Amino acid sequence: MADEPATPLAWADLSEGMTATVPFSVSAEDMRLFAQVSGDYNDLHVSDAFAQSKGFDSAVVYGGLLVAKVSNLIGMRLPGLNSVWTRIALDFRKPLYVGQEAEVTGTVASLSESTGMVGLKLAVRREGKVLAKGEAEVLLVKR
Amino acid sequence: MENADIYAKITEIFHDVFDDDTLEVTPELTASDVDEWDSLSHIRLVLSIEKAFGLKFSAAEVGRLKNVGEFVDLIKSKL
Repeated sequence: MADEPATPLAWADLSEGMTATVPFSVSAEDMRLFAQVSGDYNDLHVSDAFAQSKGFDSAVVYGGLLVAKVSNLIGMRLPGLNSVWTRIALDFRKPLYVGQEAEVTGTVASLSESTGMVGLKLAVRREGKVLAKGEAEVLLVKR
Repeated sequence: MENADIYAKITEIFHDVFDDDTLEVTPELTASDVDEWDSLSHIRLVLSIEKAFGLKFSAAEVGRLKNVGEFVDLIKSKL
């Protein structure tokens, strides 16, 4: 259960440039659960030794888990309660490792009054460096 | 922009949204003519057309449209 309810933003509350940021870190237990739910047991994500043999510091956090954090942002914060998520494109640029602090930010890039569609720019950052970048489209259901 | 050019552009959009390259986009075409034309694909259509032509429509303008021909007239009026 969430600590706080989803933010109930209305269309009039939204403006281009508006942002929301959700800090997070991924634990070993999160990785284990994601492997179980997704069925993805690729060694890159479950074996430090394998990940290191591929040039990474340790097991790499699933890109799908970063998308899950985007889901948190969209579903709970921006636009929040009245959202129906319709599209995502996310480039994974740098790895995130277990236990590292990061944050996902959404910025309103476009608003289509005729359709109720909110365009978001997305970024996942750690210590100011971009780990992932992309965009999403979210329908704000007005009724 | 000529009618033919507008229809060429929106035909491409219709083909993409409905994943059907055989769909013929005529002025008389309405949602009831296309099986997959539901509220979500309608939104995707309008949004794609806004982006393709660099236009913004109001909810009222879009709500009044009866067929593709009227949509093309709306596009032309804003170009």
